[in-house]
Amino acid sequence: MTTTDQPTETHEQVEPPVAFEADEADWRPSREGVIARLVALGALVVVIVAIPHLVDDVYVNLVSRVAVYGIVALSMNVLVGYAGQVSLGHAAFFGVGAFGSAYGLAEMDVPWPAAVVLAAITGAVGAIVLGAVALRLQGLYLALVTISYGLFAERTMFNIRSLTGGGAGQEAPRPSFFESDVQYAYLCLGFLALALLFDWRLVSSRSGRSIQALRDDERVAASWGVNVTGYKLLAFIISGVLAGIAGALFASINQVAVAPDFGFSLSLTFLVMTVVGGIGNRWGVVLGGALFAVLPTLLDRAHENFHFFPFSIIEATWEPAIGALLLLLTLISFPGGLAQQLGPVLGWLQFRKFAVDHGDAGPATAGGGMGARP
Amino acid sequence: MTGFIGGFVEGFVEVLVFGLQDGAIIAFVGLGIALVFKATRIINFGQGELGTVPAFAALLMMSSFDLDRTVSDSTFVLIVATLLAVALGAGLGVLMNVIVVRRLASASPVTSLVATAGVMLLLVAIQVIAFEPRGRSFPRFIDGKFGIPGFDVEMAWHTVVIIAVLAASAAALALFFRTPPGVALLATAQDPFAAELQGVPVARMRTLAWGAAGALGALGGVLGAGVFENLSPGLMTSTFLIPAFTGVVLGGITSMVGAVVGGLAIGFITNGANKLVAVFELDVPGPPFAATFVVLLLVLLFRPRGLFGQEA
Repeated sequence: MTTTDQPTETHEQVEPPVAFEADEADWRPSREGVIARLVALGALVVVIVAIPHLVDDVYVNLVSRVAVYGIVALSMNVLVGYAGQVSLGHAAFFGVGAFGSAYGLAEMDVPWPAAVVLAAITGAVGAIVLGAVALRLQGLYLALVTISYGLFAERTMFNIRSLTGGGAGQEAPRPSFFESDVQYAYLCLGFLALALLFDWRLVSSRSGRSIQALRDDERVAASWGVNVTGYKLLAFIISGVLAGIAGALFASINQVAVAPDFGFSLSLTFLVMTVVGGIGNRWGVVLGGALFAVLPTLLDRAHENFHFFPFSIIEATWEPAIGALLLLLTLISFPGGLAQQLGPVLGWLQFRKFAVDHGDAGPATAGGGMGARP
Repeated sequence: MTGFIGGFVEGFVEVLVFGLQDGAIIAFVGLGIALVFKATRIINFGQGELGTVPAFAALLMMSSFDLDRTVSDSTFVLIVATLLAVALGAGLGVLMNVIVVRRLASASPVTSLVATAGVMLLLVAIQVIAFEPRGRSFPRFIDGKFGIPGFDVEMAWHTVVIIAVLAASAAALALFFRTPPGVALLATAQDPFAAELQGVPVARMRTLAWGAAGALGALGGVLGAGVFENLSPGLMTSTFLIPAFTGVVLGGITSMVGAVVGGLAIGFITNGANKLVAVFELDVPGPPFAATFVVLLLVLLFRPRGLFGQEA
């Protein structure tokens, strides 16, 4: 069905000029370069660690939100970027985790860490159900099923009173050892760091490579002995677990989980932030997640504080419009997303040359780029 | 007809009447989706908004560009506004194809779907910015209801209007597929490359399909807003888009007849689910959404080519 230019692309990537490749592989930054990079990375880490203290009290929960969206973006990335399966109902995975954790906390009275485990399990179960469907369906049909699943989850599953508390929602208190906003923000950032670490190890593992082989071509992968069924399900499970944990963290930010928080528009936001961030690139998608977590507040603050064009007319209600425009712009003109735009900086920070990417190939940090469009 | 049986028949007729009303609008949206899919192999997520935006334009015209004024009840004014809305819908469809879809010709169908979702988001967001996220009253062509003889069920005249316009549109489409440009469109759908070799202007045929889908969408938008007698930003997407997708898949995704039959069927099924839950007092929230999801899964898993689909 798809006679696109993708095969030729992979062909080009397979055979770069030999000298060029050797040059890239052998290149090491000079001692000054290493020091500069270490200083920059150190400063970055210090800033990130200090952020919950740097920002105003009102915005501490926003830091937690950024971390949660970052984890969701990584979860989306496993499905869309690595496995090549589209998800237009990710708010359902996220919500299943949130309500799973809230149910554990409020109804079963389990300690907070156990509730997170419960959220991960419910997230995985939800993902297995959809993954089983995905084994039989591809492309557009899977997209339709995920949309319908998202709507079904929002309107039906999350409103079953005995499980989710109905309209009033379910309480989701924070853990006793991370009760204040600042402490909780650190907890969320810690989980994001863990998720990034996990993602990094996943991509360099055999499973990670197998999952990415599915994205490129299922039949070729099968012919090389990759267990297509197993790894596709695994991708769904990993994505579901990550989204479930993110959901549990999210529920405890406001300390309550209500169905309208996990609606269709959130699914679209998750998709938009992943695409805009740069599908297939872990730093890109996390940046995208962070951007869309703060965008409404950012627009609101800018509108109140800057009394000049364009901020004088742009309000927080413009957020979906800006998101949609960024999405279209990314898809049509910059498929690599933020990761591609920031490619030289990201590459430099990873001890490579500060160089603009050549040609269409996106950032190579996590095997993303053009072939990984949703 | 008394007691249980009588109540059952009564309930059944009620489901039929409301199912017909919703189903016909779903069929309108579905027709546009199926037409675009047939010609371009793209699922258009923006089809709902190709209806809401023209409906807002019609309302703007009727209220002389002041949405907070009450709109006159004149049917003639509504007809003129509808015609302009249809033209606008066709233009929007063509624009969407030229600005967004055509540029992604080499990308995968799913990328195009995500792009049309982006257009949908953008159109809804623009409506929210321009008109605020609240409802405005919207007129119908014919107000009032009539009783169904023999039953205690009333049917809105608006439903009759929707069915009539739907039948006329479907007939026009069927006739169109017998004219030379219609055949050229079918050829494009079947094999774009072979059609191109035979001298069919494939790109133009696709633009034509998008324009026709936009016109159908606008008709659906004006009639759909009439169903609720209310128009709010994103109305057609939030209420009819997902049922329309399901209806199209149920009907066999490339079949026009299938889109209409599937849409009507989804209308009956969602209303039937509502009725069942109400009658048996089941504790199932959002029955239409659950029913739609189940139908979509069942069709895709057990009969992926749908009721009228020719190819898998």
